This record gives sequence, structure tokens and C-alpha cells, in this order.
Amino acid sequence: MPTILQKLAGVATALRQRLRGGDDPNATRIRRRQVLTNKLWKGLPFIRLVLFLVGYLWMLALPSSQFGQRIYIDENALQPAQVHTYWNWNDVHRADRILEDLEQLRDRNATNDEIARYSVGVFEKLGIPARTQRYSFDTLGGAINGTNAYAVMAAPRASGAEAIIISASWLSRTGEGDETLNLRGVAIVLSLAGYLKKYSLWAKDLVFVISDGYLDGMQAFITTYHGLPQANLHTEPLELSSGVVWTAINVDYPGHSFSHLGIFFEGLNGRLPNQDLMNSVGVISRHTGGVPVVVYDDLDPRETPSAPTVVPSWMPEGLKNNGDVQEYAMRAKVISRHVNYQARGAASGVHGLLHQFRIDALTVYAVPATGPHGFYALGKILESSLRTMNNLLERLHASFFFFLLVRPEIFMKIGMYLPSAILVGTSMLFSGLGEWVNAGWLLTSVSLEDEEKSEKARPRSVEKWVSRDRPVLDAVTVMIATHAIGYVFWEAVSRRLAHPAILFLIFAAAPLLVARLPQPTRPGSAPVSAVLKALNLCFTSAVISITAVLNFSLAAALAVFMGIPLTLASPSPRLPSRIGKYALYSILALGWLVFCPEDTGKALWNWEVLRVWFAPFVCVVYVPLVLQSALVCWLPS
Amino acid sequence: MRWNICSKTSLLLAFHVATAFALHEQFDEDLHLRPLRDGKLLSRFSFTTLLKGATPRDPQLLSVDDEAQHYTLFPLALGQVLREHAVTELHLSLNAGRWNYEAWGYPDEPGVGTGAELWAWMGDSTQTSVDQRWQGLRNALAGLFCASLGHLDEQRTTSPSLTFQPEGSLPNFTYPHRLRHATLPSEHVCTENLTPFLKLLPCKSLSGIASLLNPHRMFDADWHGLGVHVRYREDAGVEVRLTFQAVFDPVRSSNDRRRDWSLRSTFDRSIERACPVAHSSKVRVELPHGPSPYSITPEPTGISDSVATYAVDASDEALDVALRWPTEGSFEYPNTSKVPPLTDVSVRRTLKGTSQAEAQLTLVITNNLPVQVSTGYLETMPWHLQFYLHTLKASVNGAARDDLVSILSYMPPVPHSRPALLQAVLTLPPSSTLHLTMDVLKPFLRYTEHQPDAQRGWDLPPAVLVPFAFGETASQNHTVSQPAGTIQGSLVRPRRIYTSILLVDLATPDFSMPYNVIILSCTLIALLFGSVFNCLTRKIAIARVGPTPTSAARQEDHTPAPEPQAQ
Amino acid sequence: MDDPSLLALVAVRVALAFAPVPETFKYDQQLSSPLTAYSRLREGIYLFDHGVDPYSGGSFRHSPLLLSLFSTALPLTRYTSPVLWTAADVLAAWALARIWRLRTGAKYTKRDKQVIALYLFNPYILLPSLALSTSSIENSLTLLSLMFASRGRASASLFVFAILIHISLPSLLLLVPILLLSISRPVSSLTVPHPFAGDPKGALPLLGEFLGYTALLSFASTLVCGNWSWIEKTWGAFITLPDLTPNPGLWWYFFTEMFDHFRPFFLLVFTVHLLIYIAPICIKFQHDMLYAVFLLVGILAVFKPYPTLSDPGLFISMFSLFPETYPYLRHPIVTGLIHLHASLLLPLFNSLWLRQGTGNANFFYASTLVFGMGNGAALLDAVWAGLRVAIGKLDDGYEVVQE
Repeated sequence: MPTILQKLAGVATALRQRLRGGDDPNATRIRRRQVLTNKLWKGLPFIRLVLFLVGYLWMLALPSSQFGQRIYIDENALQPAQVHTYWNWNDVHRADRILEDLEQLRDRNATNDEIARYSVGVFEKLGIPARTQRYSFDTLGGAINGTNAYAVMAAPRASGAEAIIISASWLSRTGEGDETLNLRGVAIVLSLAGYLKKYSLWAKDLVFVISDGYLDGMQAFITTYHGLPQANLHTEPLELSSGVVWTAINVDYPGHSFSHLGIFFEGLNGRLPNQDLMNSVGVISRHTGGVPVVVYDDLDPRETPSAPTVVPSWMPEGLKNNGDVQEYAMRAKVISRHVNYQARGAASGVHGLLHQFRIDALTVYAVPATGPHGFYALGKILESSLRTMNNLLERLHASFFFFLLVRPEIFMKIGMYLPSAILVGTSMLFSGLGEWVNAGWLLTSVSLEDEEKSEKARPRSVEKWVSRDRPVLDAVTVMIATHAIGYVFWEAVSRRLAHPAILFLIFAAAPLLVARLPQPTRPGSAPVSAVLKALNLCFTSAVISITAVLNFSLAAALAVFMGIPLTLASPSPRLPSRIGKYALYSILALGWLVFCPEDTGKALWNWEVLRVWFAPFVCVVYVPLVLQSALVCWLPS
Repeated sequence: MRWNICSKTSLLLAFHVATAFALHEQFDEDLHLRPLRDGKLLSRFSFTTLLKGATPRDPQLLSVDDEAQHYTLFPLALGQVLREHAVTELHLSLNAGRWNYEAWGYPDEPGVGTGAELWAWMGDSTQTSVDQRWQGLRNALAGLFCASLGHLDEQRTTSPSLTFQPEGSLPNFTYPHRLRHATLPSEHVCTENLTPFLKLLPCKSLSGIASLLNPHRMFDADWHGLGVHVRYREDAGVEVRLTFQAVFDPVRSSNDRRRDWSLRSTFDRSIERACPVAHSSKVRVELPHGPSPYSITPEPTGISDSVATYAVDASDEALDVALRWPTEGSFEYPNTSKVPPLTDVSVRRTLKGTSQAEAQLTLVITNNLPVQVSTGYLETMPWHLQFYLHTLKASVNGAARDDLVSILSYMPPVPHSRPALLQAVLTLPPSSTLHLTMDVLKPFLRYTEHQPDAQRGWDLPPAVLVPFAFGETASQNHTVSQPAGTIQGSLVRPRRIYTSILLVDLATPDFSMPYNVIILSCTLIALLFGSVFNCLTRKIAIARVGPTPTSAARQEDHTPAPEPQAQ
Repeated sequence: MDDPSLLALVAVRVALAFAPVPETFKYDQQLSSPLTAYSRLREGIYLFDHGVDPYSGGSFRHSPLLLSLFSTALPLTRYTSPVLWTAADVLAAWALARIWRLRTGAKYTKRDKQVIALYLFNPYILLPSLALSTSSIENSLTLLSLMFASRGRASASLFVFAILIHISLPSLLLLVPILLLSISRPVSSLTVPHPFAGDPKGALPLLGEFLGYTALLSFASTLVCGNWSWIEKTWGAFITLPDLTPNPGLWWYFFTEMFDHFRPFFLLVFTVHLLIYIAPICIKFQHDMLYAVFLLVGILAVFKPYPTLSDPGLFISMFSLFPETYPYLRHPIVTGLIHLHASLLLPLFNSLWLRQGTGNANFFYASTLVFGMGNGAALLDAVWAGLRVAIGKLDDGYEVVQE
């Protein structure tokens, strides 16, 4: 009976507390805050889940036809396809004659020097000063030697402070520089030189570059042009020079003739050219040259039946013929290729090397086919494109560098794709903060008798937060140590010290030594693993969300590879499961070493010759982060 | 027939009238044509008006009235400017394009730097300072020649007296003479500059050699530039020389890529009649000394050391000089890597590096002579590019040779107001290449200081090299180039070599942001300010939050720690 | 340095100083501002040695003291400079440790190593020192002056402080608390606040002494460069902001985008705003002047005209002097995360803007804002904790509020 009275009184007081806010306004304010934080705390797992889901679904939805907007030209000075082109069949014949010479050179497999000297001879006959440039990279795979030919055509009445680069590499990008030759590309650049010399309307110097090899030649030329020293590159100085280069175009024409014009634009380290340039070339190709444009060399099977189908075969027929599905598949293919180039920081063509010097460049790729187009159309397109570049009064600058091209005429602005990765990062951030709180506070419920009664009145008082101190220093030491291991690992990999499998074993085991660093958990303090996981998640989320601005594809890849796994990492009491988890995480961290050696080799080559930081980034940032979560599983809870 | 007679009589009349007045004034015109190695044709027009016995105005006497100016031939508009600002010597050149020293050799007129260049020697005075008169002078000339010379303000004006010595003589006034020099590389010469230029000529472009100055052809040339040169010749008087240089490309304009040219094919005109008031009027053609035979028509008046001279007189038939290579088909360009350059010294100046915050200035100077050459090196750099002199390094094929550079004078730039002036002497070892590198700093401008097309960057003036001392072993005719242009053989002007201009891209702010920046920054500052003072000023107290009976019970005997008193 | 492990620390630090640093460090705008850049110092010395008045130009803005020191006594070469800068850091770390010992009153504590390591290997301090930015020298002077003040050696402290003022004018904020510190004791009394012990009037003669030193040094500087132009070029730069080179601070973009006719007004506002903080902080923390200095250092780190990373670095490293406040920091993890993001964003956006050219100035500006928020958050944490620690632990059910 008295208990009931007590209860009633308790309820009454509670109501009073609620309504009048009790005696002390500050107290009520704090209580409200506590209620709010408790609600947040309760809802945290849900929020995390939602963020994850939305992030990943967003990524999956990117190729859908609902996204994206039509391209447009932002810079008015460009005026693409507004000029009348005079490139005619005589010039095509000259190109054919040059092609014959080149084919002879190829057939009696002439040396790089001979080829370069031939090009120089052609330029000099036209009255354009030209020189050769010998170069050699020493890499662990052996030295890469070659000879570039370049010519600088001084524009009449121009000060020579600005220039445009027209380049063709000796090897085509087909098959990423296997022995496919780019003879027609070289031929048309050489004949174009003679043709452009006849006009006095150029406001910028024209720099013609016939670069040797696939990427190495242009790297040697452009770094020397900009005076950027590279330790492993030995090259002759350039005897001819010109001014600042804003835009450049690279020609790749491997086949006999072509049906579509493919546009390749990814540069080193994920740098993209200004979209105006690509859009202009696209417009010119359609209107002036009458050549359809594609992103990369993926033909759309709906337009060219000969092209391979993009919809996977396991799909039911009904879906296969569904327009949306086909569109989705097509765009997905384009996006996946884009991510593949950008995330690795690999250049999708010779143009990509120019990006590192703030030159907006792209490769026009004549997609090999049995027709109908040839030198005539390509010449017109190049002439008009150069005229468009020549119109520029200032560097292309509108914030047009962050985009996702899904079709030649449809693209996405940064706001439409960036959040996907950021959301995943945010979710990890919340998880990290949650772990941080968990490490610092224990939610213990007190079960005293009178508490039990008053509980109904004030539900807050039943569960108490007990604080415990966090071994932050230990966790930080572990993180620093793992990253140090990552650096050592990078040195080992880049020097190819041992067989990948051995490296894998060594560096998968190395963190176990780190696990011994922190001193055993003191009573009343949180386990190191908890703090480590918190910091690890926070750091990872920072890395993801910051990489997103620099290189979205890389950020997305990181989000996919690390998002869920790092969040799920948790210590477990039983040894077998600990070992299992540890093994899984170390495979996630270092598996690529064993399973995809050729990609590893490519990445290392990119680092050695082109200074692409993807490989070191993976070794020093990605691997240690995953290894840390492996340690989270390993360390005692 | 009748109009012919009329015109003749009128001309004769005019001639008599002119001579009657022009006794103390003399006007000579001269066209110099030189076929170049790479198939191009260099033409240099020179119109000289001599005011006999005149002397420049003494700036000390600017306060007293000037004597009246009656000219018949001498350009009055220019004369007034000169008297008004008491200018002793003046050189203005407006050029378009980059002079190719390797292939074209030294120009007849040394001032071939891209863009506008103005330099003047003026007597100092206590009445009005040199700088005041310099400002007036450039504004007056800007109006006279429709060029934006007004931009040659103190941010671009220097006084490199070592490189730009007076070409005439300086009268000894009460105070010594001072040099003012400024360049504007982004200035582009075009028709609107040529028209006022022609107005200064006694015969305009109606007759005489000036009638060849056809804008349509002149401004299609590969290189063209006009110049105004005023100097004081102690023995003769004040001399005004108007020059126009152009380099044409007959190969480009001809269908079958031949290098034959004639006055008509080049200028689309021929000299119909002479300028009656001209004391002398010559067309001089340098005859090519190549293997392939040539034919020149009509028969020249005289030929001396491979220069064919035509006197333009009042003869009836029009003069249309033509030079042909009958035997040769389309022109064979010489291989630029084989043939030697036509200058003693060839220089390339480039700006390396990719950052918008710093860069590296590199000069590659090749000595084409088998003897050691000393050359003056002048940089007049606006503050948009700032030198790090301590990083200046010289090297000859790889080996460091800092001893080859001796800096004579350096005036550091002052942002927003003054350019840098660097004068040095470089010693070039025989037939070798000197590499100069220097780190430079790219300053950050206020958003109001940027040009309309800010992303283009800034054009920087050319550097100037003056080769002056040649090794002893060199014989008298050591130079591999033609002798420098002489005016009536009176004097040999110093050879100046202008490098190409540079384009530097400075980092730009976002021009649409001022309000946003003010708002954002101020918000952050206010936020921090507010919260700090909030923390500092408000009193700290303890509140009972969890009124559990137990804690409530404990609250009675709870003694809160002493609070820090908020003073 | 009475401990082998300390020697080990120093050895590692020296090794780092001679480690090959990337060329871009030399001109990095986070690590050295126009007023502390090594390359500009070298340029000034070069001009000075070649008879050109370095202050006639616009790019050299270092103090004549540094000019005369490095052009005569200590020539800067590829080998001496790293040694000198490392020495400055080690000196600073030692001073910090001394201050810590004086604060605890113990001869030797276990945290000494931690304190020293936290200074020597704080990236914000290490990187500018590797880039040979003179801000490291400013830091060591600050700490030295503090150390002398805490030891009660007022004259030495004030002399060092006068030198510091000559090198970086904004440090003038620290004058009052340093004066008061030198006539009070540095022991930690945050937990037991009490009115200022000792007589504030005692600071007045010290103030006169300080002015004397300043006048002396100014006269010396004028002798060095022959005219007074150095004042306008060095001290004036802090007030008129002539060089708008980007830095992690809040001033540069504000005055890049400022309308010309408002420039003087806002320059005045920004300068005066710095001074506002002195009085309240000194009054509120009159019981612990060292903490007041610490907070003012934090203020400088946020609002300085030409900050480099080593200014927030000094603030963060000085945190190690006040372990008693750690439990009461408001949101340490949030502050830490903001700092983490900011320190990753700053170099990234700087290169996006100035090297890659894909981003524009707003990118870097945004990252400086984030950095400012991070420093501001740290400052707030410090202020709050400094007050909160007075109340000590509370039983559950009680909270501390401000009313």
C-alpha cells in the first residue's frame, strides 16, 4: 500500500519535473541534453547502417539512366566546329606517302634513331626546326631506351609564349603498349605539320612530338620540357623550346580505318582534363568530321551490332532486351573502365602524362574498323580541334575538372557521385566515435531494490555509465608501428627483394610483433583493441573522405574494400577464430601480392617511370589500415 | 593624259614650294630588301627627317616660352611632343612576333623585342622632374600612335643606362641626362598604329617608298614592327627616323612554294611616283650569295658590294623590283641543325616548373664564335616575377662556372610599385653553351590587381643581351653576320639581342567570392571570440541533475569545491 | 640532457634533420610564411653581402637581428642550417622540460621524456623545422623567455622576449602574462584558484626594462642596416599585410578578396581583435600565469597574421605542461579529428590549387577554415578545462554548468 503511494508520489514528482522543468533550469537543460544523447546513442547503430546502405546503393545506382545531364561548352572562346576546314585529299595523299615510308621503316625493323631521324627529316623539309631527343630510364626491369622526334613551329606574329602540343606515340595504346604500332597516327601528325605551316592564323606555337615507345617517350620529353628532374631518367636537353602549353591533343590510329572516334582522358594520379576540351573535340568530331564519338573504344551494341554485347549472358531474355538494362550495362562498363584507370592513377593514353603539368590533354583514338573513315575525316577533326584550341585566350579554368563521363554526351557533376563515398566514410566515422565511447564508458545496470522501485519513475537512473581510462598511447603506438611496417613493406616490394609469396608471409606476420608493444591491459582500463579500432575507423574515414576529392575512383574503391570489413573487425575470445579472422584480414590487406602479380608489376612500373603514387599509397596507407583491423581481431578483448 | 599633266604641274609646284621652305630640313627615304636564308624576305623602310642646326630643348628653360615651331617636312605632332617634354633622344618600337636571330641574323633596327618598347634620354631639371615629363611623354605618344603606352607606368619603368646608351650625342645642359626605359610585351601593333605613323611622313603614303606600306600585306607578314627614333646629332641637328621592318614569307604566299618575290607580289603595290620633297629616295636590294643563279629586274641604278640600288626619281614608269631564281623549283629549306646561326650569340630563355607559387628561370646562351665573348645581360622584370638571386647558378656543359657571371647592379622589386632591374656581364667561353638557372617567386595578387583574362597570366618583357667584347684572336670580321644597319654609314649602333618574352601564370583567387569570404571568415572569428568569452565570463556552478534518492540524500552533505570567482 | 634515452631522442632528431627532404618543402606555404621563409632569408643575406639594402625590396621581411647574425656569426650552409635549426628545437624542448619541472617543483619527473618527445616529434613543429622556417627560432625564444620567467630571472626573460618581439611582433600578446609570471610562481594552482599573489605594481619597472631592451635592439638593428626602413618592412608587415602568399591562417584570403577602400579598416579590426584577449585571460587565470600564456599562445596560433604550422604546434606541445586538465577537456576526440582532417586537407588542397590546377583558391581557403576551427576547438577545450579543473571530480548526478 505505501509502495503504491510512493509510486504515485514518484509519478507526480516526475510529472512535475517534466512540466515545470524542476527546480534548476540548468539541470533541466542538462537533462534534456542527456535524453537527447541517449536517444542518439540508441539510434547510432541504425544511423550507421543507413549511411552504409545509402552509400553503397548510391554507388550501384550511378550507371542508371536517371542520373547525369547533357554536356555543354562552358568556355565561350572555344567556338568548336565553327571554322571551315581546308584539309583536302592532297594532304591525305601526303599522309599516305609518309605512311608508306613508315611502313618500310617498320618492315626493315629500323632502329628508334632511324625512325626519329626520318621524322626530323620530314619536319626540316617543311621548314620546321626539328630535333631528336635520346633518353633512357633505368628500372629494375632493365633500362628503357628510345629516341623522340619533336618540332617547334613558330607561329607568325606570335610571341612564342604559348604553345599547343600535337603528339603521336610510336606504339599505340591498344593493349597498353604491346607491339601494336601507331603508324597512321604518326603519319597524320607529320603530314598535318606541312599542312598547318601554310596558314598564318596561328596565335600559339605548334609543338609536334613523335614520342618513342608508348608512355616512356612522352614522359622523357615532357619532363625535360618543364625542367622536372627525375632521378632514373637520363636524357639529352631539348635544343628547341617554346612557351607555356595549355592544351594538347594526342593521336592514336592503329587500324587501317575507323568507324568511331574514341576519347581517352584519364591522366596520371587520377587527374582529369578540363571537360570543355573533351566536349569540344566531341562536337567537332560529330559536326565537322561526321564521325560518331564513343568514350574509350566500347561500341554500343545497340548501334553497332558487330560490337560484343554488354549485358551478361545469365540474364533472362526479357531483361536483356530491356532498354534500361542495356543502358545500365553500357554505362556500368564505361564507369568500371574509368574507375579502373583512375583508381590506379594510370594514364589511359599518352595524353595522361601531360596532365601532371597542368596541360589539358586527351587522346583521340580511331577505333579500328573496316571503315568508313580514314585520314580525311581525322585530318578535318584535328585541324578544327587545333583551331578551337588556338582560339583560347586564357587557360581552361571553369571548375570543370571533376566529372564522371558515362556517355560521350552525358556526364555527372561532382555533387552527383561524390556523396556515395563520403557517406560510407561518415558511417565509419560514426562507428569509430561509437567505439571510442564504448572504450571509455561501460554501461552497467545497477539493480538495487529501491532503485528498482524508483526506476519506473526515473528510467535514467537504472543504467549507469562507468568511465574507464583509454590506453590511447598504446593504440597510437600500434598504428604508427603498423605504418612503419607498411613503409618497410613498400621498400621491399619496390625493390622486389623477395618472391611475393615470401613477402606476403613475412609482412602478414610482422604485425604480430607489434601486438606485443602495448603492455597488458590494466584493470579498470579499456582493452587496447577497442581504442585501436576506434582510431583506425576514424583515420580510415578521414582517408576515404579526403581522397574522394582528389581521386573519386580510389576513394570509392577504398570504401568498398575497407568500409564493411573494418567496421566488422572485433576481438574474439577463442584462439581459432582469432587466427581465422587474422588470416582473412591479412589476405584482404596483402592478397593482391599473390593473386594479381601482373597488376602489381604494372603499378610498380608506373611508379618507377611515371611517378604514380598509387603503389606507395597502397603499401603505406591501405595495407597498414587493414592490418590494424587484423590486430583488432588479434589483440585480447 | 590631261590629268597626268595636271598632276605633274601640281607636283612640280609643290616641289618648288617645298624646297623653298625646306632649306633647313632634309627628308631621305630608303627601302632595304634582304632575302633571308630560310626563303623569307626582310624589308626595312626608313624615313629620315633632319632638322638642320636645331638643338633639343633644355628642360631648365621649360618655364620660359619655347620658340615658335615652323616645320614643312619635320613632323609637327612629334616635334611638339619633343619640345613640350624636353626630350633629347627618344626610341619607340612597336613589334609583333618573335625575331628569329638564328635564321635572320641581326635586324637592321636593333629594337625588335616583342611588343612595345619606349626609352628616352632626358635632361634632368629643377623645374619638372624627369619622371613627370616621362609620364607626360608616354601619354602623349600613346595618343599620337593609338597605342596603350600609358601602361608603361612606374611599375614597368627602369633606367638601364648600361644597355641603352644614347645613339646620338647629348648636349651638355645644366643637369646631366637621365634614361627612362619601359617595355609592354603584351602590346600588339596593327593598322591603327600604322595610320598615325604614315601621317607623320611628308608624302603620307601617297607617293614615294611609303606608298608600299600596304596594311593588308604588312600585317600578314611573319614579323613586323614600326619604330620612331629621335636623336640629336651635334654636327647636323635633330633627326627623326621613322622605320618599318617586316619579314615576309614568299614561300607561304606562293602556290608552288617558290621564294621568288617582287614588290607587287609582296606589297601588292609598286612605286608609282617619287615623293617630290625627298632629298634622296633609294631602294636597296641585297643580292643573294647562294649557289643557285638569280635574276633581278629591272636593271639596278648601281651595284656595290652585292647591294643593288635603285634611285626612285620622278620617272613615269612605276618601279617594281623583282628577284627570281629561275632554275629552282619549290624552295628547299636549309636544315636548321646543320647551318650555323647568323648571330655571334644565340639565347633561349624559358620558365620551368609547374607550380603557381614558384618556378625556375633558365637561360641557355650559346657562343657561336671560336673566341671568348663578353656580353651584357639585362633583365627588367616587373614584380610579377621575383628573383632569388642567391640561387643564380651558371654552368658550362654540366660543370658549375659561377665565375662567368658578374652582377653589375641589382635593384630588388617592390610589390605593387617597382620592377626589378638586373644588369650583369656574362663571359662566354669559345663556342660553348652557358646555362643560367635561377629560382623565381610568383607573388600573389589582390583580386583587384588581376587582368581581365586573369587565367592567361602576365606577359613578361624580354631580356636583352649586348655582346660587347670579343676575344683578341678574333679578326676584324669575326662576326658571322652582316654588318649592322648603318644610316648613311654615319654610325654603327650597338647590337642588342632580345630574348623571347615569357608568360607567367599567377595563382588567381575566386573573383566571385569577396562577400562570401568576408562572411565566412568573420563568422568563424566571431564564433571563436564568442565562445572563448562565453567560457571566460560566465560563472561556473554545480547543478543537481540525477536526483536519485540516494544522490539526493548525498546532496545535503555535499560540499561543492570552491568555484573560481569570476572577477 | 641528463639521460641516455634523451640523448637518443636528440640523435634521432638530428638524423631527421639531415634526412633528404623533398624540394617542395623549401617553398611549402604551410611550413614557412613569407616572414619566416628560409629562401627569403638567404636572399636577404645575399643582397646584404653584395651591398644591396635588402629592405629596399619587397620580398625580404626578416628581422635585422637574424640578418646580422646569419651574415656574420653563423653562416648558413647546407650543413650548418639543419644543425642550427635542430639546436633551436632541442633548446626549446629543453626549456619546455625545465618549465615542466619548475611547475611540478620536482628535480626530475618521469614525464620529462614525454614532454621533450612531444615537442621534438610533434609533426607541426618538426616539419617547419625541416623546412628551415625561422618560426622554429621564434618558438624556442618564446619557450626560453617563459623558462627564465618561471625561474624568476626577469631580466633574462625580458631580454629574450625583446629579441622575440623583434623577430615576430604579434608575440607582444604574451608581454603582460610574462611580466606577471616573472613576479609570481609557475607552480600549478589551477585546482585552487586564488587572487594574484604578489604585487602587480612590481611589474612596472620590469616593463621599463623591457622597453629599454627593445629600444636597444632597435638601435642596433638601425645600425646594422643603416636606416629605419626595416621597421616598416618587418614590423609593418604584421600590420599592413603586404604579402598575400597563402598560409594556414585566416588573414591572407580575407585581404586578397578585400575591397581596397575597406582594407585599412579591417586590418585595424583584425589587429585590435588580437589584443582584446589579453585582459580577460590574464584576469581569469591570475592564479596561474603560465596557463594564461599558454592560452594566449593558442590565440596566436589561430589569429596570427602570418602563421605557420609551428604556431599551433607550440600550442599543442605546451599542452603537455598541464596534465591535470586532461580529464576535463571538453571534446578531445572531436578536436583531434578536425585537426586530422585539416592537416590532411591543407597540403592536398594547396597542391590541387597551385600544382594540379584542378581546384581553385576556395579549396585551400576552405581547408584553412577547417584548420582554424580545429585550433579554435583546441583553444576552447583548454579554456574550459582550465576552469573546470578547479571543481574537481563530482559524484554522479551532478554536472557543472555555466550560468
